[in-house]
Amino acid sequence: MDLMQMRVERRMVPHVPWGVVLTALVLALIGIWNLASAARPPHTPVWKAQLAYLGISVVAMGVVAALKFQFLQRIALPFYVVNLLALVALRFVGHTAKGAESWFNLGPLRIQPAEFMKIGLILMMAKFFHDDFRPSDDRYGFLRLVRPALIAAVPTVLVLAQPDLGTAMMLGLTSLTLLLFARVRWPVAVVLVTGLLTVSVVIWNDYVRKSPPDQPHATLLRHRLKKHQSARISGWLDPESDLRGTNYHSAQSKIAVGSGGLTGKGWQKGTQTGLSFLPEQHTDFIFSVWAEEQGFLACVGLLALYAMLLLYSLGVASQARDRFGAFIAVGVTAMLFWQVFENIGMVIGLLPVTGITLPLLSYGGSSMLSVMMSLGLLVNIAMRRHMF
Amino acid sequence: MSPVLGHNSPGRDLKVRYLWLGLAMLAGILALAVQLYRLQVIRHDEYTAKSVSNFVKETRILADRGMIKDAHGQILVQNRPSFDVFVTPAFCERCDTEVLPRVGQLLGWDAATLTKAVDDVKAARRKAPFRPVAVRIDLRRDELDILSAHLRGLSGVDVVAVPHRAYRTSTVLAHVLGYMNEISERELERPPPDGRPYQPADYVGRAGLERSFEATLRGEDGVTRAVVDARGQSIAGLQWLIDEHEVLPKPGNNLVLSIDMRLQEVAEQAFPGTAGAVVAVDVKTGFILAMVSRPGFDPNVLTGRVTAAQMAALAKDPLQPMIFRPTAQHYSPGSTFKVLTSIAAFRSGQFSPQSTATCHGGYRLGRRTWRCHLDRGHGVVDARTALQKSCDVWYYKVGDTLGLDPIAKVGEEFGLGQPTGIGVVGEVPGIMPTEAYHDRVHKRYGGYMKGFALNSSTGQGDVNVTPLQLALMYAAIANGGKVWVPQLVRSIEDAEGKAIRSFEPKLARQVELKPEHRKVLVDALVSVVNEPGGTAYRARLEDVTVAGKTGTAQVARLGAVRLKTHQMDYWLRDHAWFAAFAPAEDPEIAIVVLNEHGGHGGADAAPTAQAVFRKYFDLKREDSARAAGQLPVAAAPTGGVPVGAQSFAPPSHILSGQPAPVRAPRASPQLVTSGMTLPAAVLVPAHGGTTVPASAPVETAARVPVRAPKVAVLPPASAAPTTQDPQPVVPGAGSGEQPEGPTAREATQDSPVRPRDVSAPETPEETEPTLALPEEGQ
Repeated sequence: MDLMQMRVERRMVPHVPWGVVLTALVLALIGIWNLASAARPPHTPVWKAQLAYLGISVVAMGVVAALKFQFLQRIALPFYVVNLLALVALRFVGHTAKGAESWFNLGPLRIQPAEFMKIGLILMMAKFFHDDFRPSDDRYGFLRLVRPALIAAVPTVLVLAQPDLGTAMMLGLTSLTLLLFARVRWPVAVVLVTGLLTVSVVIWNDYVRKSPPDQPHATLLRHRLKKHQSARISGWLDPESDLRGTNYHSAQSKIAVGSGGLTGKGWQKGTQTGLSFLPEQHTDFIFSVWAEEQGFLACVGLLALYAMLLLYSLGVASQARDRFGAFIAVGVTAMLFWQVFENIGMVIGLLPVTGITLPLLSYGGSSMLSVMMSLGLLVNIAMRRHMF
Repeated sequence: MSPVLGHNSPGRDLKVRYLWLGLAMLAGILALAVQLYRLQVIRHDEYTAKSVSNFVKETRILADRGMIKDAHGQILVQNRPSFDVFVTPAFCERCDTEVLPRVGQLLGWDAATLTKAVDDVKAARRKAPFRPVAVRIDLRRDELDILSAHLRGLSGVDVVAVPHRAYRTSTVLAHVLGYMNEISERELERPPPDGRPYQPADYVGRAGLERSFEATLRGEDGVTRAVVDARGQSIAGLQWLIDEHEVLPKPGNNLVLSIDMRLQEVAEQAFPGTAGAVVAVDVKTGFILAMVSRPGFDPNVLTGRVTAAQMAALAKDPLQPMIFRPTAQHYSPGSTFKVLTSIAAFRSGQFSPQSTATCHGGYRLGRRTWRCHLDRGHGVVDARTALQKSCDVWYYKVGDTLGLDPIAKVGEEFGLGQPTGIGVVGEVPGIMPTEAYHDRVHKRYGGYMKGFALNSSTGQGDVNVTPLQLALMYAAIANGGKVWVPQLVRSIEDAEGKAIRSFEPKLARQVELKPEHRKVLVDALVSVVNEPGGTAYRARLEDVTVAGKTGTAQVARLGAVRLKTHQMDYWLRDHAWFAAFAPAEDPEIAIVVLNEHGGHGGADAAPTAQAVFRKYFDLKREDSARAAGQLPVAAAPTGGVPVGAQSFAPPSHILSGQPAPVRAPRASPQLVTSGMTLPAAVLVPAHGGTTVPASAPVETAARVPVRAPKVAVLPPASAAPTTQDPQPVVPGAGSGEQPEGPTAREATQDSPVRPRDVSAPETPEETEPTLALPEEGQ
């Protein structure tokens, strides 16, 4: 079945979105160079492994790009369901790391189903918005939003239960972006705005409001959260309060970024990195290494590269041949954006520490593979934009 | 299911949304860039500082605090290593649940100590996680061994040798030397007076010289800097990140006191009382040569971690060991005051040395009679005899004639009623009443009356002096009217022993004292000491002429029957005074002895002065002989160098948490005091457990007073606290077993100085008449 579903024709080749591919490769190579600094001795030098992951991921990207477009449509639902089942199965056979059950242990490989759920969700949502399209009535009201909301909510809740707040937030935000992109009626917009306000009020009530210790006010959500999640939210709100405790990450990461200055301390010269003040420096907090050692200008350069990648991706989306392709491309773009925004936002103290990776820069096979496969989807869409 | 045709065109309408989406994402990226700009450009310096403080571990090298030495270089206060247990919260994993309980188990902590340590570490973790917290100071040798053996398994726990203050003389000079303890939060917030900031857990001088000379004694701390990783491990390859790796500490300066420890030792040993003071001053300079305050406390105990309960126990001790009696307590001077009345009398012109009064045992003023201490009367007395025999009537007459103010003026000139300015220790000004004073204080009795002048003229009434004031006053009479500002510190030297500053004598006032008047007084004072039957005959020396005056200050109103001292309750007994100087021809040293509730000046104060005088002149001869090369120059100062086990044995055993003694009701307790100068005495209720009920017959009480045993100033090693013994020996606990009753003691003590002329009855020691307010003036 595999080979049967792959097809590359000569006329597709000129349409390969080189902008996307090359930007991604540049970012990945920068990432490997950066990793060589982040995980320098006494840490295990992991950049070689990352290079291998990149190689595998490029192949995977090619495979995804070569898949028949119709196959993608056919596989959307099964892929989504399989991933859902995998998430459920995690509850029973998952490997616990850092307090969350997010991994399958397959011999030497550890697989994080949530990473692939991102792709599954995007495919499923795209399929839904494609199938559901009504030219006469292209605005979504409440009733028509129930099904896509369910499609998004089920995996989001499952991931949240792992608990993996970061990935859950990303799934939710990506779905939200797709919903908005699909055009909603204004009452829906009002509800969404109200929802955001509610979240703000909950956070204010549970984490900001002060009351005398002997008569604590009722919390709306806080008592339902796991302690480490709750502490991360409060740490996000007041990062300096506890240097060595929960907010240690946040505070140390800001110190790393801030001490980098305009031009940085130099490759392998970062003290926050070199002296292990930053835990997870080569995965979730990889950006702080870049910021500390390369400085503000290089950070802006890196952000510009991400912006280029996003814009190229949007370009692919805008030229997609149908709604399915367009929604996949928009979904991939949105996912990339939220992941970059959430990760860097957390590193520089704008958002709570949620433990998600920076696409293409963080060390990790699953992350690299899922990002490159998503980009493979873009290539696939772009190559087939004039086909019928 | 294949897509339906017509659904598959994305349509033009999507184009606008791409635009919006692209703009929104760019806005998001821009927001990140703006925050990056804030962190990396605007707040760069702040974060650079934070990152440096992250990886630079500064280890303070504590400067050695200066030593305190006596006049001959004998070390009184020095530093010794103390092994303290520190916990660095950031490196201490599972501190509260595993590490600290294990430490507690090894050191045998009780639950409260453990809880306190856990709380301290928790508090420190919040505030400054990388700063080590001392959870235990002054490990004993055995504890050190046990802990060192297990240190590897205790993350974040270090044992560090820290210089600790060692007061080698324990209770001797305790008030003068002072003590130290940990700096408070409030003090940390204030800018330091000498510009060198303190750090948490620093010790600062709290009393005496340690406090007044804090800036001189404390040095400047040094520091070592090392690049460390997040676990606090030093990283050899990255040390280039720091410019200056070590700043050496500057040790503090030493104090050289005017106190001669050899003299001090004799004074301590000779002083017989439970409570009281001995002051010896240099007549020609005002420098203090010896200063005893009994009872004392052990600064080794206070320097460390004294609990509030232990401090309260000290504060509640009825004998008030924390009060420095030479300056911080005033007493009625009794007859020692009479020299001033004489001076006032001569100055007024209405009396001359030849002026007489006739004593029939009392002096009548208005409807009341002021009694002389000798009921049968002294007969006709002149000024010299009056002072020699301490005849009250002559002074009553002066008071009656002059009124109070001329006497008060002389008193004030000699420094009474005002602080001496010694500075190092706390002072009370004393009281030199004037007519205005009585108008103010005794308003409801009609203000000043002549009777007050009569009381004050004999040193009773409201006159109150400190022993130091009295010593300076006698020194001024001895040196012809120079009232000195007393000083304790002779010079300051640096750590190598090079003098960097020496203190000159400071004159407070030159009092007008006519030589012929002075001669009469000195003659009289000489006869007090040197003529058989003189009240201070016990203070005489064979080869040096001592001039002095005894005094017995009444504490309670005189009853119908004159009781013997040992028949009275301790708190009701008279204070015994002796003030003297020598040699009378060219005075060098003035000594005041106050034996609180001691009894009679002649018997209970004068022998102490005698011993100190004798030692002083012996030493003088010895020192000049040594200077002349007749004696070998001692390499080390002689006189019991106070090195002993206690120098290294921490006083931890003392903190045994005994309940505080409650101040006994005035009527009841006989005081069993002994060993008040032994190190352990302070926090121990010396008289606890032997209290006799208030209803106890007088005879029972009379048997009890037991004098302090001879006290070794520098206790032998065996007397030093042993680390094995957590329970202090309660001194004096076996008082009942001491067979030595007052009578036996009197006999043994008195024999060497008993006058040969046994037939001459020993004067029953002037006891001043009633202090009662006259019922009516004039």
